[in-house]
Amino acid sequence: MVGVRRLEILGGVAVAGLLASLTLVLADLGFAPLAALRTLPAANVDVIPATSALFSFTSLGLVFEGIFLTAALLVALASLSRPSDEKGAAVFFGLLLLATLGMTLAAIAADLIFLLLAVEVVGISTYLLVGYPRRDPRGLEAAMKFYIVGALSTALSFFGASLLFGAYGSTNLVVLSQATGTVGYPALALAGYGLLIAGLGFKLTLVPFHAWAVDVYDGAPTDVTAFLAGGSKKVGLVAFFLLFIGPVSLVVVRPLTCVGGVCPTPFDFAPTLQLALGVVAVVTMTVGNVLALLQREMKRMLAYSSISQAGYMLLGIAVGTAPAIAGATFQVLGHVFMKSGAFLVVAAVAGLGVGPLIDDWRGLGQRRPILATAFALMLLSLAGIPLTVGFLSKFVLFSAAVEAQGYFVWLAVAGVLNSALSVFYYARVLKVMYVDPSPEQVPAPPALPLGGIGYARAAAIAIAVVAIVALGVDPQPVLGGLQSAANHFVLTGP
Amino acid sequence: MTAIPPVDFLALSAILLGIGLFGILTRRNFILLLISIEIAMNAAILNFVVFAAYSGTGGGIGGQAVAVVLVGLAATEVAVGLAIVLALNRVRGSINVAEATTLRQ
Amino acid sequence: MILEEAAFVALGGVAIATALLALLVRELVHTILWVAVFFVDLAAIYFLLEAPFLGVLQLGVYAGAVTILLLFGVMVTRKRIFSREAATGIGPVPLALALLVIVLVGTAASVVPSSAQPIRPYDVTDLSSTLFVTDGGWLLLLGLTMMGALAGAIYLVREGRE
Repeated sequence: MVGVRRLEILGGVAVAGLLASLTLVLADLGFAPLAALRTLPAANVDVIPATSALFSFTSLGLVFEGIFLTAALLVALASLSRPSDEKGAAVFFGLLLLATLGMTLAAIAADLIFLLLAVEVVGISTYLLVGYPRRDPRGLEAAMKFYIVGALSTALSFFGASLLFGAYGSTNLVVLSQATGTVGYPALALAGYGLLIAGLGFKLTLVPFHAWAVDVYDGAPTDVTAFLAGGSKKVGLVAFFLLFIGPVSLVVVRPLTCVGGVCPTPFDFAPTLQLALGVVAVVTMTVGNVLALLQREMKRMLAYSSISQAGYMLLGIAVGTAPAIAGATFQVLGHVFMKSGAFLVVAAVAGLGVGPLIDDWRGLGQRRPILATAFALMLLSLAGIPLTVGFLSKFVLFSAAVEAQGYFVWLAVAGVLNSALSVFYYARVLKVMYVDPSPEQVPAPPALPLGGIGYARAAAIAIAVVAIVALGVDPQPVLGGLQSAANHFVLTGP
Repeated sequence: MTAIPPVDFLALSAILLGIGLFGILTRRNFILLLISIEIAMNAAILNFVVFAAYSGTGGGIGGQAVAVVLVGLAATEVAVGLAIVLALNRVRGSINVAEATTLRQ
Repeated sequence: MILEEAAFVALGGVAIATALLALLVRELVHTILWVAVFFVDLAAIYFLLEAPFLGVLQLGVYAGAVTILLLFGVMVTRKRIFSREAATGIGPVPLALALLVIVLVGTAASVVPSSAQPIRPYDVTDLSSTLFVTDGGWLLLLGLTMMGALAGAIYLVREGRE
């Protein structure tokens, strides 16, 4: 019984702390009902940082902090319902909070080394989170694979950063993005950006750096997978944002103001990088979707779907206009609820004794109608069916790409075709759950409330479902905020 | 005052990065993978020190500071890697990545 | 000046040779010995680059601590210390990829001056003020990383009752 209290006390503290942090971030974002709690004056937000600054508060950075805290909150809440005899609650919640701290610090970075070190805090914490069931060879093997890939990505990223440092004599993101084709050594910088795209591409599971993700997502404890897919993976996206979009522009966008009378001009090779990001985005979504079609196990299918979603998010960076950035950020927010929610349901269903194969879920619609409905909603949202957040975020993203003209229209077409393709594998799960008959033998659920799910996990799933529908039906309050945050970064289109 | 062309040092670090990558792609023993990653990491550290040393390539003392931090980071990574591998060794008794077959490749 | 160039050629050659040997020899313990030489060699290169503090750090952390950690890892995870690495071929694709990276990075690096340049020596007080004041955030994040590593690694390797 001591174990029960230990898990619940530690988890309760974690949930309360994350909730408090989220409240403060929302207050700093200017959320009106919380104005009294605001600690960061509006005048200090969205100011172009000094060239010696390591971090700076930007609206988009604060939005990402909020998204990360939400993801961690969902996972911490659901983890309260884990079996109380499980060991390692202290290390689980501790590493979860440390990873979240690293993610929030990465979101406000204004210095490349600061950013990469914050990504490293997330990396080290998540390698160990994946392996924390220390008697489970599957989890440890996943941790080992994750570790090797992560350490390789660290080495490549820092090598790229060293070339940028050599090319421009600074690691400050403002200095880097204001450098022109005549300053320093642009060729060195291009090689540096190439290595950084490769290194950070591992974190964001971009094709061809994606192969590790499925094994790791499959082998990790499912609650940790929910955090990896919904939360910590996005730290790679934040790094891409900071490198190519903010705190001031590189690819297409221009900074808010000229600094000291000097107005930056974009890189000579910026269009090349932009095209490269666009191609990687389309390849990533296509490969993820095609391989997801072929999967027989639920976790692996969701993992491939997660890879394809990273492609949609990268599309927003490749297009680089304010609506596209807002769309990509909205997609990230929606993905927290859709994908983390889906993995939390998978963990709940696995707790009911259902096997890992998609076919093992047959008849779940009759046996557990509420749980199946929640999962169906998440899948419909991932597929991009109207009245869900998944539809709206893709709609905003693709229409921004069409607006941007040029070859971006073709990127949008590729995105729409991919969304259509993804409907097939989500629909297959729906058919299995609702049409196929239940197996004769159904294992007895564990002794937890709500038929073996537990109150806390049910609450986390409910929050995700409510958010998916609420953001899908009335997105304007949130989407408007994202658009104004994105507008702070972008003045002109391409 | 030493006088060696900076490009020589950069060529050395590029070759070391290549050796590290080659090791990561071909070796299957976890210790060798760790060593490959450390070789690549050392190439990055060398680069920072080189750029700090040559005023002609910009840079400055910040490069040495990054190098100091990276040495600490790399040591931390090795320790974490060994912890994972010791735990895995205890439950399964082999540290060859190729033998980690519970997960399908 | 000839002396310094000779020193660089020797140290660079040893770095490349030991890095290759470490990956190609069959005995794991020999690998670790070659890596130790590699780390010491890099420390010498740092002294050549007028970065003595880094040289000392490299000797202490890499040649000292990391080498011992690796040796420890080999000893604990292998029943026979001198156990051989299973023969792994030198595949053409990894070799081509590694060469491609070397060529690309090398080409990009060829824009920096190829004539001899004077090296800026630094005072160690400059380094410490950068490390602890100007860019203190880096050290803070390194501390966070180490904290996570410490907690997680101790938990993973501890013999607990389960």
